[in-house]
Amino acid sequence: MPALRDLQSAFLRAMLGPDEPQLLEALVGDGLLPTARLQMYRHHVLTSLTEVLQVTFPVICRLVDERFFRYAADAYIRQSPPEAPCLFEYGAHFPAFLATFPPCRALVYLADVARLEWALNVALHAEACAPIATDALRDMPGNEVAGLTVQCHPSLTLVRSPWPIDQIWRANQADADVTAAVIDLRAGGVCLEIFRWEDAVGFRTLAPPVYAFRAALAAGYRLDMAAEAALAAEEDFDVVHALADLLADGSVRGWTRSHATRESASCTHR
Amino acid sequence: MVNMGSIPKLGVGIGLRAPHVAEVLATRPAIGWFEVHAENYMAGGPPLAALEQLRADYPLSVHGVGLSLGSAAALDTRHLARLKTLLARLEPALVSEHLAWSMTGGIYLNHLLPLPYTEETLDIVVQHVRYAQEVLQGRLLIENPSSYLRFAHSVIPEPEFLGELVRRTGCGLLCDVNNIYVSCWNLGGDPLAYLDTLPARAVGEIHVAGHAANDADGQTILIDDHGAPVTAAVWALYAHALARFGPVPTLLEWDTNIPDLAVLRGEAHTAERYIQRAEEAVYAGVA
Repeated sequence: MPALRDLQSAFLRAMLGPDEPQLLEALVGDGLLPTARLQMYRHHVLTSLTEVLQVTFPVICRLVDERFFRYAADAYIRQSPPEAPCLFEYGAHFPAFLATFPPCRALVYLADVARLEWALNVALHAEACAPIATDALRDMPGNEVAGLTVQCHPSLTLVRSPWPIDQIWRANQADADVTAAVIDLRAGGVCLEIFRWEDAVGFRTLAPPVYAFRAALAAGYRLDMAAEAALAAEEDFDVVHALADLLADGSVRGWTRSHATRESASCTHR
Repeated sequence: MVNMGSIPKLGVGIGLRAPHVAEVLATRPAIGWFEVHAENYMAGGPPLAALEQLRADYPLSVHGVGLSLGSAAALDTRHLARLKTLLARLEPALVSEHLAWSMTGGIYLNHLLPLPYTEETLDIVVQHVRYAQEVLQGRLLIENPSSYLRFAHSVIPEPEFLGELVRRTGCGLLCDVNNIYVSCWNLGGDPLAYLDTLPARAVGEIHVAGHAANDADGQTILIDDHGAPVTAAVWALYAHALARFGPVPTLLEWDTNIPDLAVLRGEAHTAERYIQRAEEAVYAGVA
């Protein structure tokens, strides 16, 4: 009689791989081969997780066709099964998986479209969080502002691609105008900001210097360092304006002084 | 967390599923209560906000599918903490989980997987249920699973296993009559005898649902897919359950091939008529 821990380890291996002889011996057939009974569970595990990925990555599913999507999802699930029961968190590594999945190699834009879809999923499920007031930093001396790091809204993600992934995404929505759906891959890259405004999730394009500024802040750089990143992209980048826009967009939930006295404004739950 | 032993008189509820949320919010239909899967609301975004709006008008039941009370390993304390936070926000009338496992070695398999019913398993599930009830500060209803296989070294019949779990942890039971029917069909067993073995006073909720029939090598296997109307055989079993357990809160589950809300309300209405008949029979017996 196998110990429960060993039985469950064998069951796990059998769900994501071939039958385990030790496990088959522990099963009663009741008129069927034990392997057929095991297959009923394996089928549900793989198809239900495939459905989760289909819900999170509908545009990828449309781009590669549903049958191929199921094939890719099967390989991904076996390689990177969920590590926790909240399945809206499952699929974070799917874009990286697609980037290296040999059958997808010709679809150079696919992984970046998947990154966009994952960012939309993150935005949809991010906790509700009030931004700091637009004038919160008004009375702070400039040199202090320069030393701040900001905490961005939890729904915010920045995605940059050498491909027009925004056009690809739009052309593959249910209400898209299919006659206008010829996309020139040489049209160039795009810098996107994905965010949730109240209950509406969406994205918009950012100018490259603005993207550089916001991406640096989102990565945790101090404001003066983020400004340097933006100025490298555009010599006469207006940092004061860029910061005011960021606050006006409601993209900042708090800030921290990087040196001297540490102080922070915190997120207020709605 | 509530439900410390008394059974709330809720009538018939339905499982709240994403395609119906907007309609329910807009029309506030006459439905006794709603049950939601805990794991779908553990993020703080719009789905939870919608549910918090419904809370004012309907009792809620939080039905967990991810606690993995049958895992040989320790419970996932992070998941348990998230469940506790959700319960504090929603203050549901009922809280339930499953006699099953889904996690091992840090991997979640998204299925209510079967357990061998042994003394070892019983000790493990008892520990997990006690610990979960301690952390959540309330009584859990534990649901009987639908099964497609059994283990050669299982020695305790499932309803007796559940009865012993109740005795040793003080938990309640969520009696899924469709699961009983499906498991007894697939693995052998008498559904009525199963119902008659459960400790009647522990049953705090009933589930009814539809199932599918698949052919496997010439043998019919019933799949608990919650994707069809409740069958006549399961309604008959439900009537027996009501006669034995009383008019406990009943949930109509429908999770795949989800139809219009009106279809679910029709099924819920059928369940209400069964409850009415059971109550009339009790009244006639007393009079």
